Amino acid sequence: MKKVSIDPITRLEGHGKIEIFVDDNGEVANVYFQIPELRGFERFCVGRPVEELARITPRICGVCPEAHHMAAAKAIDACYGAEPTRTGKMLREILYNAFSAADHTTHFFVLAAPDFVVGPMADPAERNILGLIAKVGPEAGGKVIQMRAWSHELIEIIGGRSVHPVSTVPGGVSKPLSKEEAARVKEIADYQVEFAQFAIEIFNQVVLGNSEYVDLIMSDMYAHKTYYMGVVDENNKVNFYDGDIRVVDPDGKEFVKFAPDDYLQHITERVEPYSYLVYPYLTGVGWKGFVDGKDSGVYRAAPLARLNAADGMSTPLAQAEYERYFETLGGKPVHATLATHWARLVELLYAAERTQDLANDPDVTSTDIHSMPTGITGEGIGVVEAPRGTLYHHYKTDENGFVTACNLIVGTTNNNAAISMSLKKAAQGLIQPGGEISEGLLNEVEMAFRAYDPCFGCATHTLFGEMPLEVAVREQSTGEVLNTVRRFV
Amino acid sequence: MGKPKVAFFDFACCEGCQIEMTNYGAEPFLELLNHVEIVEFREAMTEKTTEPIDIAFIEGSFTRECDRARLEEIRERAAIVIAYGQCATTGGINALKNHQDDYKEYVYGTDSDMPHLDSQKAYGVDAAIKVDYYAYGCPVNKYEVLQIVLHLLHGKEPVIPNYPVCVECKRRETVCRFLEGDHCMGMVARAGCTAPCPAAGIPCEACRGFVDDPNIPALEKVLVEQAGFTPQRAHEKGRMFTANALEATS
Ligand code: SF4
Ligand code: SF4
Ligand code: SF4
Repeated sequence: MKKVSIDPITRLEGHGKIEIFVDDNGEVANVYFQIPELRGFERFCVGRPVEELARITPRICGVCPEAHHMAAAKAIDACYGAEPTRTGKMLREILYNAFSAADHTTHFFVLAAPDFVVGPMADPAERNILGLIAKVGPEAGGKVIQMRAWSHELIEIIGGRSVHPVSTVPGGVSKPLSKEEAARVKEIADYQVEFAQFAIEIFNQVVLGNSEYVDLIMSDMYAHKTYYMGVVDENNKVNFYDGDIRVVDPDGKEFVKFAPDDYLQHITERVEPYSYLVYPYLTGVGWKGFVDGKDSGVYRAAPLARLNAADGMSTPLAQAEYERYFETLGGKPVHATLATHWARLVELLYAAERTQDLANDPDVTSTDIHSMPTGITGEGIGVVEAPRGTLYHHYKTDENGFVTACNLIVGTTNNNAAISMSLKKAAQGLIQPGGEISEGLLNEVEMAFRAYDPCFGCATHTLFGEMPLEVAVREQSTGEVLNTVRRFV
Repeated sequence: MGKPKVAFFDFACCEGCQIEMTNYGAEPFLELLNHVEIVEFREAMTEKTTEPIDIAFIEGSFTRECDRARLEEIRERAAIVIAYGQCATTGGINALKNHQDDYKEYVYGTDSDMPHLDSQKAYGVDAAIKVDYYAYGCPVNKYEVLQIVLHLLHGKEPVIPNYPVCVECKRRETVCRFLEGDHCMGMVARAGCTAPCPAAGIPCEACRGFVDDPNIPALEKVLVEQAGFTPQRAHEKGRMFTANALEATS
């Protein structure tokens, strides 16, 4: 068996490494990959006072620190028996939705849109944010920059800082919103809604208006009939901050709905030989390998999955877009991985509208911003929908509130098995006997990756083009390098 | 003379500092691009390129011996090296593992011996190469970074604060955390962030590290006497972003 390593520069500790195992006939046997290692976070959280975890865990990832901050805040609420006050919860949720909108914007305009707008076959040197701006005009670029800057201003108003916000405390937040701040938050939320509609307009024109692209989305490239997971509110509508976890089967029927506290009963984390990554699967279905279908416990999370797992959106504009999405794509559930990009825009609109709704609630400036801890319970689980999938923080503490155990399932991890499956599809046929790699491999692998928006640090480095990738084909037995292709960004 | 060439490199970190730098908003960002040329990552990263760089920004900790060669190469090519973000300046949050020796097993179990998981203690990049300027913070203060670049463009020495966060906290008239029955490390933490955390009702955790020669025994005494910490907790408190400094003083 030969081993192919695709190595997006291992400069960060154990960062995003893909290993393709090829048998003697040149057939792809299996594909494993790993997301950024946690730099020891689960270990070094142990021994810290639990309230610090809201400010330690965000440092796992500078792309989605708000998700860790909120999951941690909720787990800490539970560790202290502190139910958030209405306003405390609202302020957290505003911050969180503003962040989700900003993150989806970055992904769409910086990572995904260049593929579509400039064209997937265009020279990589043009297929980047600068090429995008050249195509749709500089005002669009200006709008994207303003969207990011304003959203982060909102995060800073409520969170105290923009990257790595600090302001949650057990039972709520540490600082009330002043009248002036509330006015600014409203203004930003209005802009976010306007921006989301503008983004959808671009998508309509450039992607839906081009039958080639629609075919590309609908083609079964990377399509997998899997289970789907997402957090839903009491009406089974998408909610990023709070709710139960709902899973639907490959036919779109509810398979199970469970409270965050019960996650260990429903999700099993599998460790594969040769891989140091865990592959979570649905306990109730069981592990059948890297395959899709109703009998396989492989599930997916993130935008595509969230829209499939819910019955709709709780805000009017997003609901209309949700309906159009399923009508256009042939009904529920949508299995086509590339549709994730559209799903992300539906969510962008929802997040913006949700921020707007909450910002207009008169209670938003109330000073009843946090409750008081009722005692130390010894355990807490916090779940939010991170942009890249359901995020679980689970802590145990001693009687003084010092952490004794910490388990994290980060968003991308939910999709590990599915990403491996998509990568395998991409790699099949592109690796020939003798270790020859055909040109298209890097592009195909990259497209497969991008749809999932894995939180690879390197996937976010695409300001100037594609992901840095390095492919080495080796004889597994001798380790001899047969062939290498590399591309740095 | 053409515009100075600026390049960005990263090592073990969360990349939050890079993200912070993308949040300037249109005006300062585009204005900056009028004065410097950001060398494309592609060019900057290709090992074969030996093109000189005027300013190299390095993010992330030095935590693997195998990264030393890459750091040395950057040093050779760059006229000025700026370590930016706490990971790069002091090891930052990554150094929180330095006093533990089982974290790899904890995270990876029996796979922990795989060579690509190779990881040693985390230090600032100056453990491997000479650093000219330090932009502290987790993440950096983007306006401070802008100031550093502006000073360098004008041939001036950047001013990096060496006074405590309390100074900036008083300046913005925030009620002290200790008066609210809380704790804080602002009196030994390095200023330059404008003290946003106490202003948001959260203690300063010294994410920019300590001032030079911090009085750690005094900090611990205050945490015990004013905030009711146990001596053990008071000692551990300083570890969050400043583990290496703490080891050096104790
Ligand atoms: S200093 Fe902080 S924000 Fe910057 S890269 Fe390191 S962990 Fe991330
Ligand atoms: S809150 Fe902290 S930083 Fe501010 S004055 Fe008090 S001790 Fe200093
Ligand atoms: S107040 Fe302290 S923790 Fe907050 S940004 Fe400044 S140095 Fe960092």
